[in-house]
Amino acid sequence: MKLLVVEDEQKTGDYLKQGLVEAGFVVDLARDGVDGLHLGETGDYDLAILDVMLPKLDGWQVLAGLRRAGCQMPVLFLTARDQVEDRVKGLELGADDYLVKPFAFAELLARVRTLLRRGSRNQEPQVVRAADLELDLLRRRVSRGGRHIDLTAKEFALLELLLRRQGEVLPRSLIASQIWDMNFDSDTNVIEVAVRRLRAKIDDGFEPKLIRTVRGMGYVLEADAA
Amino acid sequence: MSRRRASITTRLTLLFAAVATAVLLALGLLIGNAVEQHFVEQDMEVLSGKTDLAAHLLEQVRSPADWATLPRQLDDSLVGHHGLAVVVLHPDGSRVFATPNAAFPDALLKPAGASSKPQSWAQAGQPWRGISTLLPTGNRELSPMLVAVAVDISHHEHFMSSFRQTLWLFVALAAVLVGFLGWIAVRRGLAPLQAMRRGAAGVTANRLDTRLSLDAVPVELAELAETLNQMLARLEDSFQRLKDFSSDLAHELRTPISNLMTETQVALTRARSADEYREVLASNAEEYERLARMIGDMLFLAQADNGLVVPRREPVDLAAQVRELFDFFDALAEEKGLHLALTGSGQVSGDTLMLRRALANLISNAIRHTPKGGSIQVRIETSGGETKLAVENSGETIPAQHLARIFDRFYRADPSRHRSDEGAGLGLAITRSIIRAHGGEIGVRSVTGGVCFELRMA
Repeated sequence: MKLLVVEDEQKTGDYLKQGLVEAGFVVDLARDGVDGLHLGETGDYDLAILDVMLPKLDGWQVLAGLRRAGCQMPVLFLTARDQVEDRVKGLELGADDYLVKPFAFAELLARVRTLLRRGSRNQEPQVVRAADLELDLLRRRVSRGGRHIDLTAKEFALLELLLRRQGEVLPRSLIASQIWDMNFDSDTNVIEVAVRRLRAKIDDGFEPKLIRTVRGMGYVLEADAA
Repeated sequence: MSRRRASITTRLTLLFAAVATAVLLALGLLIGNAVEQHFVEQDMEVLSGKTDLAAHLLEQVRSPADWATLPRQLDDSLVGHHGLAVVVLHPDGSRVFATPNAAFPDALLKPAGASSKPQSWAQAGQPWRGISTLLPTGNRELSPMLVAVAVDISHHEHFMSSFRQTLWLFVALAAVLVGFLGWIAVRRGLAPLQAMRRGAAGVTANRLDTRLSLDAVPVELAELAETLNQMLARLEDSFQRLKDFSSDLAHELRTPISNLMTETQVALTRARSADEYREVLASNAEEYERLARMIGDMLFLAQADNGLVVPRREPVDLAAQVRELFDFFDALAEEKGLHLALTGSGQVSGDTLMLRRALANLISNAIRHTPKGGSIQVRIETSGGETKLAVENSGETIPAQHLARIFDRFYRADPSRHRSDEGAGLGLAITRSIIRAHGGEIGVRSVTGGVCFELRMA
């Protein structure tokens, strides 16, 4: 997967690139709007991450230029200002998502993966697995090592999210928004408690432990946990 | 003040001077006319007296002998009065009698022109005033005689001209004097304004407690001074809050940043294992996230303060929102053994996401402050177009001095409480901002064995 990042802030650009490369993406970094637009038009990218405030051409102009040139890749905006007009303008211009700085890198990664997945949604599997854990979507049943596990509706949804995106670190804010539709930062430890309770049900008494807390980042479900 | 705008002092001074000049001029003209009129009347008295005398003498004329003595008689009785001119004309046009200085205008000497209305004329540089009258003689067969009498009025004219001169001089002086006095009066009258100006000039950001003294100010300016004082009070209040807020903000930022610095620098003092580094970074990341959340909240509050938070209007089912939030907080409540209950229902018009955030803050605040095994009750009531939502939790009541400030940013009823188990102290402030942006109000009170937050929305 090839990504284009247009970010003029030196450190931010470098770390975004490093983080995305380490997450397995091929990343080109442009430092201003003109370079960004040129790269976007000529390179074949799967997704673009644009800063709004850019020298020479701002993010909106780059996006408009890309869309004029017929580039249909998903675009994610980074903005320092959380203004309604900015959001509306971005969506009108055809942006697919936006993040307000400062944001958690895990959040960015999760959103990038969501956008990339959106285009190529395969046939939904009926059963999702990790190690000996099985989640049957149709029958809404969960079992581990053949033993049935009782989950509440929200626990089921949480486990489904973790399973579908296994190997990805999911930040608390993403979980809150996906499972409970809480689209704002909350300083409560609700997610921690919910994950802990889910973990107690599916990991206690089983090996290997599947759900792991990545401190400072979020939660991940991995079958081959290190 | 710019040059083009005349000062009040200049304008009032000029106005005073102009009005005084006009009034004095009118008065001068009036007096001048009256004096002149008086002189005319005085002259008329003399003239008619002389005419009566002449009439009396003419009455006596019966015989030719009388005719002969008439000039002398006239001379005796009329002359001797200096500056008097008399002409007696026979109907045939011959002069029966004439004083040497008698040079009357022709119009006055024609029988048809005989008039008792005085006429003025100049003769040899001297002004005269005279009348002419037709007077019958003792001889009834004779036509009446025309008697013209005139007085030299040069002394009157002298008086009038010097009177006018004095008058104009006086008017001019008085105008200047009134202007000057007016200037002094205006300066004195405007002195309170100057005092107010000086008072206002003394107000700076550091001395916002300065107030204009109301005692020294005249009634007309008292209202202005009061308004200015109220403005100052509002400014001082806002400024104080801003100052408190800035220092709170600095303080709130200092703690996490000092943690981050210490932690990072301690980690760097010697080589450590990868796990130790990871631990430091993770801990830092958590701290950063808290900071980012705080900044986000602060920005939201700043926008709300500036009226930039404009909620959308859509029907929001409060009970459904509360149920979803209960679902969200379920795990947390269960861990603490809290009982969550909802009664009633109600619908308001507002922004779903914002209202959900406001309610989430209220509920998480309640969960945080309810002791283990306690209960949280949400009651929704609708009456008369107004919807009330109360969040009541069991636990300690909050002292009154804290209740008043509980919605303030960064305010914590218990400053010693550990930071991490509480939010940044912005949740309730955000809730209030959201409710206010919706045109609602929110309040808090202590109830028996607990605390109750109540919001009202139309």
